[in-house]
Amino acid sequence: MSQNTLASLSGVRKRFGKIQALDGFDLAVKRGELLAVLGPNGAGKSTAISILLGLQSADEGSAELFGHAPQEIEGRRRIGVMMQEVMLPGVMRPRELLEQAASYYPIPYEVDAVIARLSLEGLLKRPYGKLSGGQKRQVQFALAICGRPELLFLDEPTAGLDVQAREALWKVVRELRHEGCSIVLTTHYLEEAEALADRVAVMARGRLITTGSVNEIRAHVSRKQVSCVSRLTPDTVRGWPEAAQVEMERDRLQITTRETEALLVRLFREDPQLSDIEVKRAGLAEAFTELTNESKGVA
Amino acid sequence: MNSVSMPSGRLWAAYFGEMRFEFIKSLRTPAFAVPTLFFPIMFYLLFGIFLGSMRGNSAMSQYTFATYGVFGAMGPGLFGFGVSLAIEREQGLLLLKQALPQPPGAYLLARAAMAMLFVAIISLMLTLMAVLVGGVPLTFSQGARLFVIDVLGALPFCAIGMWVGSMVSGPASPAIVNLIFLPMAFLSGLWLPLQFMPKFLGDIAPIWPAYHLAQMALGTVGAPSSGSTAGHIAVLAGTTLAFFLLAMRRMHGSGFRLLGARPKRALAIVAGVTAVVLALSLSGVIGGKPASKEDATAATDAASAAADTPVSEAPAGVAAPSAAVIADFDNASETAAYGIGWTAARDDMRGGNSKSAQHLVTGGAGGSKGALEVTGEIGNAIQYPFAGTMFFPEGPPMQGLMDYSGKTTLTFQARGDGRRYMLMVISGIQLDAIPLMVDFDAGPEWHEVRLELAKYGAADFKRVRAIGVGTMGPAGPFRFQIDDVRLE
Repeated sequence: MSQNTLASLSGVRKRFGKIQALDGFDLAVKRGELLAVLGPNGAGKSTAISILLGLQSADEGSAELFGHAPQEIEGRRRIGVMMQEVMLPGVMRPRELLEQAASYYPIPYEVDAVIARLSLEGLLKRPYGKLSGGQKRQVQFALAICGRPELLFLDEPTAGLDVQAREALWKVVRELRHEGCSIVLTTHYLEEAEALADRVAVMARGRLITTGSVNEIRAHVSRKQVSCVSRLTPDTVRGWPEAAQVEMERDRLQITTRETEALLVRLFREDPQLSDIEVKRAGLAEAFTELTNESKGVA
Repeated sequence: MNSVSMPSGRLWAAYFGEMRFEFIKSLRTPAFAVPTLFFPIMFYLLFGIFLGSMRGNSAMSQYTFATYGVFGAMGPGLFGFGVSLAIEREQGLLLLKQALPQPPGAYLLARAAMAMLFVAIISLMLTLMAVLVGGVPLTFSQGARLFVIDVLGALPFCAIGMWVGSMVSGPASPAIVNLIFLPMAFLSGLWLPLQFMPKFLGDIAPIWPAYHLAQMALGTVGAPSSGSTAGHIAVLAGTTLAFFLLAMRRMHGSGFRLLGARPKRALAIVAGVTAVVLALSLSGVIGGKPASKEDATAATDAASAAADTPVSEAPAGVAAPSAAVIADFDNASETAAYGIGWTAARDDMRGGNSKSAQHLVTGGAGGSKGALEVTGEIGNAIQYPFAGTMFFPEGPPMQGLMDYSGKTTLTFQARGDGRRYMLMVISGIQLDAIPLMVDFDAGPEWHEVRLELAKYGAADFKRVRAIGVGTMGPAGPFRFQIDDVRLE
């Protein structure tokens, strides 16, 4: 394993009964990168992360964390973890939970420093069980980073957070990355991956479909979005072979297309008064939908 | 790749911090802390001390002192593992702990330490209450031994709880733990001595781990107990290991590695410790006989021996004569073949106002010459009145002990006014131990009352103080006759 690969899965297969959750999956997390793992539900994201964390073992293939089997504690002393759907003991206060988590690590951050960094001062008086859903997520995030991890696993970290709290968490994630911490982010919010990730790995049906920067993933797809004000109805445009998808958003037509030029020529021909045209490359959401559909052979 | 090692000081601190965390968490969880801490103490106050004193029977507060300690030793382990493990297994906490570098085994160690600390608190509170309120005579060494028995006795219940927690769902777990906890406590004689229960319940009691712990505790406070300490320790250690292994297998099957990446090493340590305990207990190093000097001094002073020596070491009574007949009342005499004859007895010593008198009548059972008639009136001054007649096999009354362990059957003839009467055997080291009581109905015709001694394991036939026949109520006059009392 190279010095710069902190965690890796190679050729991993994992089956649960009839479901092949992972079907020859490869992934390598490089030092200093923020890798977003994307995929629809059931793509195998959680299984892949579970195997990397040593919570499950692979049927075939290998998993490594800092050069150790993930089950061994040596590798896990260098990671931080924020999971979905964890209920921490409700009678304990945030500081007690943080002190306990920090005690597992060789050189953790000062608990007070973590509290200050995440502005948790207002939550300290109440037991964890009395906090709101968003506040609980903030405490869980604090637990994940308190051990001064070299590699941080964040599973849907901003689910349930309000915009402000989400921005604050993103800010800390960016800071950590600049401090040299590598981060693996699994998320449903493509916006989150677009905002944070250096690299995106797209999964579907237990396999890695593609990996690359956000821009590379976007470039993977030839689709563009054309937005304009027109007297044409969406139904009319839907009948054209150039238009893949047509929506009406307020007074604007939103057309997704693979043949931008041909579409524009036809639009001007059919509606000379056409105005206010915008052409955009597709966002990660569209790229992602297309990539996963292709892997099903639908697109 | 630079390796980050965990300083051993931090590792120890992590283990210790985990225990502290678990203890504080449990104290703050009323659903756990209230029943485990206060139920044994409340039950002891109600059923041991108050009910016992109402019956004028301080043996009750002594017996229940030992058994509620065992009851207290069961709860924290059963609930701490059975309920919390089930809930935390389902709520993802256990998985998170495994993803985090929680030191291997810290989860289990912290929980077991928490349970033992809770038991220590319960044991100390019970001891204070027994000595200060219950008036239970207790030496420091008895108290210390009982404390160790209770605290270590938490371990088998931790293992059983862990096995339950590894299988059941979180919401169902409290009910299932209670279904194990409460019946086992009852069937092990923790609430009510086994001699008051149907015989087969007493026969099967040794299958319950709590029974073995209770026998050790009873022996320590000087109450009648059965079995050998070494045997009890062996059963408890074996139970702990067996349930621990079952639970570990189950957890491992669900993907939980509670002992870290190399569970075999930790399992080997646990199995090794258990094997050592088993070997030591079976070879007599643990729970073996105390030095024989102690026996010698004990024999000279029966009272102090009773207070401080396990029952198996206390001197037995005087060997019983080989004659089967105790009394046939045919020689115009109330005396018996040996001992101090039959004496009318009643509850006046305990503050009661019952009356009894006895005299010989002609015409006994089976056409014999005479029989003993007892008449009187049951009063209503105390809650458990008594009136009847007593036979003391070895004087002075209630002080002398007779060893009837070589006999198998007690029989006599009885008839009376149709009331329900009872046969009572007072035995054991403690003067006020709970007697064996067996009911019979006495109608107008003579009939035989028969007692197979083997059925009443809780009575101490090596040390019989008195055999009585009488009634405990209801209030009002009574009259009965007995004849041909035989013990053979």
